[in-house]
Amino acid sequence: MSTMRKLRRFTVWTALKWVFAIAIALVAVFPIWWMLNVVFAQAGEPVSLNPRLWPTSFSAGIDKISTIFAQTGYLRAYGVSILYALLTIAGVLLVGSLAAFEFSLFEFPGRKILFGVVLLALMVPTAVTIIPTYVLVSRLGWLNTMEGLVVPGLASAFGLFMLVQFMRAIPKDMIEAARLDGAGHFQIYWHVVLPLCRNALVTLAILTFIQTWGNYMWPLIVGTKEELYTVGQVVGLFNSPLSHHTVDTVMTANLLAAVPPLIFFLIFQRQIVQGIAMSGSKG
Amino acid sequence: MPFRRYLPHYLMIAPFMVLFAVFFLYPILSGLYYSFHDWNGVRVPEFVGTDNYSKILASRDFSRAMGNLFAYIAITVPLGILVALGLALLVDSFTGRWSNFFRNAYFMPVVLPAFLAATIWRWIYAPNFGLLNIVLGWFGIPSVNFLNDTGTMLYALIAVDIWVSAGFNMVIVLAGLKNIPTELYEAARLDGASKRQQLFHITIPMLWPVLFFVLTYGLISAMQVFDKPWLLTGSSFTSYGGRRNALLFPVMDMMGRAFGGVKFGEAAAYGFLLTIAIIVVTGVMFGLRAWSERR
Repeated sequence: MSTMRKLRRFTVWTALKWVFAIAIALVAVFPIWWMLNVVFAQAGEPVSLNPRLWPTSFSAGIDKISTIFAQTGYLRAYGVSILYALLTIAGVLLVGSLAAFEFSLFEFPGRKILFGVVLLALMVPTAVTIIPTYVLVSRLGWLNTMEGLVVPGLASAFGLFMLVQFMRAIPKDMIEAARLDGAGHFQIYWHVVLPLCRNALVTLAILTFIQTWGNYMWPLIVGTKEELYTVGQVVGLFNSPLSHHTVDTVMTANLLAAVPPLIFFLIFQRQIVQGIAMSGSKG
Repeated sequence: MPFRRYLPHYLMIAPFMVLFAVFFLYPILSGLYYSFHDWNGVRVPEFVGTDNYSKILASRDFSRAMGNLFAYIAITVPLGILVALGLALLVDSFTGRWSNFFRNAYFMPVVLPAFLAATIWRWIYAPNFGLLNIVLGWFGIPSVNFLNDTGTMLYALIAVDIWVSAGFNMVIVLAGLKNIPTELYEAARLDGASKRQQLFHITIPMLWPVLFFVLTYGLISAMQVFDKPWLLTGSSFTSYGGRRNALLFPVMDMMGRAFGGVKFGEAAAYGFLLTIAIIVVTGVMFGLRAWSERR
């Protein structure tokens, strides 16, 4: 009976479903695949001969990548973007977990009001803060500095909220037991709570990385000198109507910007997907 | 109660709260102050009352940007949800490895930076040698300049937008699907409910809170769209919005006024107008939800 039904269920509908699912997967992945193919093809090969549906020349791609690194400021932009992402991750995790530790596990006067104010921030759009924050950063003399890029983004309301949700699940008995063993307040945070939150911290770090790497608007206005261009800005320049780069060069620039987040995704897909699902279902 | 007893708690939240106050609360308040002043960032701000607000509301760029925004939201938000729901149901109908495979494939565009999505698609849309025009050429359709033809620009943006955001929303909907108790479906099957009846009478009502989140979040982020139209049109602070401002959106207009026109007071006022609009929309959404739950 059950095998009969299984056979019957593998019908036209099932076949159609597979075709459909694969077709959508192609649409989703193809632009990324196409970018790769444009890079790994002989430069200037006419499209009529090679529509770039698959990579055709490995060495041509390597040549393009090394040319870009040698002749433009791309490598420096890579360094800036990586430093920007790492400092932001470190800051968001440290500052956020310290505050989340208190907000989720302890009672003190003002706790509810302060946390409420931070939660309201989740609803305020970037549009309203970006111009005044820019003015503040320029007053501090932080334009074109790494501080100016990183510091304004450290008090992440989203990060705090996520960590608080996670830390609420930690049994208060564990905190009490540690206290009876003579652990200080900071020691409890560092030796008891942080290790328990490792998963949440990893997820937040990954989401922060993807977000920082993809941040375009803030670096665009804070870093106006070449020394502080991020990958996003360099890619924007390559793509501007005034640039004289060919499609091969531009796609190489694009591909290099896509590699870090794609590698991150391949390694941490589970955490990324869970992190986003969690932020959605709790919102 | 002695303050000393709570001191450790305050010390631990201090870094976050100080940063939050300086780089979030203070900018909002100072922005409110600037929004009532004429200020180019150098001179002493000059009080102008509500001039900035009325100037924006009367400007042609503002009405153009708002018109574009409405058209954009009216298509991209509902379409985005339908696509996300469809993808989630599709992925959910597979099991095990294939379910993961398709989920990851659909999700991949999400991890790319938005600026990259825009720049890749700019070349796919390119006239003559762009991928899309090559494919159209196979069918004998003449080359279309997707990003420079006012009739296609908005749709070109929406396609990129859906390509980027569908996977994100799909993952949230998928999490919602997993939370629906399977007993509901079993009971429905025993009662002889068809697949379609199950979809409309169990899946969608049970998903409603999740869909509401996706809808509200989608609306709020669509109202602030910036990177994609900015890069698709190859904008800079001196020239933005694309041909005949067909892809001019409020945040682009605001950034242009600040860094192209050096009118920081006007830009701050613009930010507040947008925020008010977003708060109103969010309020309406929550009001609708409360109303529909009471019925």
